[in-house]
Amino acid sequence: MKKYMGNKLAILLFILPALAIFITFDFIPIIQVFAYSFTDWNGLTMPNFTGLKNYLDLFTDRVFFTSNRNQLIFAIVITVYQMLFATVFAITISDKKMNGRKFLRVAYFIPVILSVTVVCQLWSAILSGEGLLNKLFEVAGSDFKQNWLGDRYKAIYVIAFVNAWQWMGYQFALIVAGIKSIPADYYEAARIDGCSNVKAHMKITIPLLAETYKFCLIISLTGGIKAFTEMNILTGGGPNKSTFTLTYMMYNAAFKKSDYGYGLAAASVMVIECMLVMLVINFIFRDKDQKKEEEKARRKRNA
Amino acid sequence: MKKRLLSSLVCLTVAATSLIGCGNAAATTTDTAVSTETKTEAADTTATETKAEDTTATSGEKVTLSIYTQYADDDTKVPYDYAVEQLKEAYPNVELNLIVQAQDDGQTLKTLAATGQLPDIYQASTDLINTFRESNQIMVLNDVAESTGFLDKLYDANKDLAYAEDGNIYAFPFSGQEYVLWYYNKALFAENNLEVPQTYDDLLNCIEVFKSKGITPLALFGQEGWNTAAAFDVVATRYTAGGIKALDEGTAKITDEAYVNAAKKLEELVAAGLFQEDATTTNYDQASEKFLSGEAAMFINGQWYIEDATKALGDNVDWMFYPAQDAAAYTAGKAAFSGGGSASGFAVNPDSANAELAAEVAEFITEKYCEAKVMYRHNPLVALNTGKEPDSEYPAMMKKLSDTLPSVTSTTKFTWGLTNSTFNDGIQSESQGLVSGQFTADEFIADMEDIME
Repeated sequence: MKKYMGNKLAILLFILPALAIFITFDFIPIIQVFAYSFTDWNGLTMPNFTGLKNYLDLFTDRVFFTSNRNQLIFAIVITVYQMLFATVFAITISDKKMNGRKFLRVAYFIPVILSVTVVCQLWSAILSGEGLLNKLFEVAGSDFKQNWLGDRYKAIYVIAFVNAWQWMGYQFALIVAGIKSIPADYYEAARIDGCSNVKAHMKITIPLLAETYKFCLIISLTGGIKAFTEMNILTGGGPNKSTFTLTYMMYNAAFKKSDYGYGLAAASVMVIECMLVMLVINFIFRDKDQKKEEEKARRKRNA
Repeated sequence: MKKRLLSSLVCLTVAATSLIGCGNAAATTTDTAVSTETKTEAADTTATETKAEDTTATSGEKVTLSIYTQYADDDTKVPYDYAVEQLKEAYPNVELNLIVQAQDDGQTLKTLAATGQLPDIYQASTDLINTFRESNQIMVLNDVAESTGFLDKLYDANKDLAYAEDGNIYAFPFSGQEYVLWYYNKALFAENNLEVPQTYDDLLNCIEVFKSKGITPLALFGQEGWNTAAAFDVVATRYTAGGIKALDEGTAKITDEAYVNAAKKLEELVAAGLFQEDATTTNYDQASEKFLSGEAAMFINGQWYIEDATKALGDNVDWMFYPAQDAAAYTAGKAAFSGGGSASGFAVNPDSANAELAAEVAEFITEKYCEAKVMYRHNPLVALNTGKEPDSEYPAMMKKLSDTLPSVTSTTKFTWGLTNSTFNDGIQSESQGLVSGQFTADEFIADMEDIME
């Protein structure tokens, strides 16, 4: 193995196919997005260079701030909901004494395999003005009837909940797999030392799942920033663009106003935001060893 | 050395196999995608274009032309089916391959244009015509219009609809001047001892009565931006006849007193409960169902809804002149309608393998659409004088409209006829905000002012 790893040609040949695909289908399009964001391209004709105009317009657009606020709310809601419930459910069904584990494992995962459109139609029927939820309040004699999807402030939370409900099962599956990889010896040792179940999970399970959580966090937060489908189906971005995100801004500018340049400026900001989030998460979840090495290097420099 | 050579050789083989594998996979995927997408619109176009090229190139007989048009309800299905039947007789060698138009403000068509997959014939709105003109993806039809006698058949009132801003014909319009009508359920008004509202005070009274009975005063399908823009326009035209058309053309400003007053009036009506609470998330089917089932007393839609409304409600449905601020304004406003014609219709892809034939067929279909609309949809408001008569009597509402039309002095535009796409996007979303009751009239004015700047 060492011999192969020492052969630079072999390394190059092995990574070449993946690298070529990445460059062709990811890297070049991203560069194009940034390049076209400085033009007045309408998607069909030759673009003209307009400098920073699209960005200046974007940063003074009311909808830009609404979109960023929505992305933040969306990301926080789905992250908290998914990670919290996925952890609780995963730990619960990891207990071998529990009855109905198999059923629950499948039940939690079912929404993931459904199409987003199906899920949105389902929740749309529940949340509409005359929908199930409002009917339930009515039957219960409560006048707490809400315009769940038509409220300019509340709708984004409702949409985020729908997304979180659907994709919680995905994180649940990741955490279950993570828990399974933890040796049972650790729990046995903890039990011998008189550790309670809750404490054992707090001290063993959760710290050892750091890498899994890191991955979950990345998909939740970047998923929040890129959110589009749910708002497109449930509210159409309304009322009056109050459930817009940057992706929706891009879509609206490109396809409704034929202003691809402006839309791609929104897309560029979104790409930068996603990268920043990933950098921050990577920084937070740095290896302890790496941290120690950094500390040592700092001391050396100071000495 | 030998081992190194061998390992390099193995690596090369693996890499080559992977690449070949990728190549094959990609080819397979494309093939699969193409075969799967025969059901989808885009691939239909490609397949059809290829087929058309093949057929003309080899035999010169059977030609299949792809056509992208609406085919969703009776108002769009009946004319299309009729045109196809007629086409079989007039052009036996031509077959049409229908690609059903998506209700997406032209996004699908723009995407097809961007990828060079435009259908041979497509239904184009004013916005699309303007966009495709810049990229030379729409055919100039002046000669075809003349040679086929299309221009002679155009009603004088619709002459303008055929020409774009640059004086050329890019699409054959089949719809004539169209109007936003304020429908109402006569039976519900009678049951509740209500007169048809003429002023906003009357309307507020109706709202109060209907709401107290659990009836939605007016069912709006606010999920569609054009419907909310029309709701604003019917109020705006009571204050200034230009309505949203004047704003689109830049001959008026949203800060003009008339528009400010219109926004404030609409805000007041919304606050009183004119529309259902979830109006902005209600689609056409839901709103129409509410109206036709008697759950809602009023409805705003185009005159094309007359046929469906009459079929469902019979004599219990009618349309009213839009209420105004006072009796004098009401009387004066009877001559000012919201809605209007637009330079839109069947356009032709100049890069089509059979562009000349497609242009002829587009003109033929346009003519047949007009005939079908008159004969089977009882809608005389078409672009062409077809000389046809309806297969049965016109519905009462259409008769009333026909009697009113000679006195109409001004119309505005539907959103698909607006030429400024930024304004179009703005008025659709901002009017949606206004009818939601969660955005004030001041916010509406300020936001629209920002958008127009």
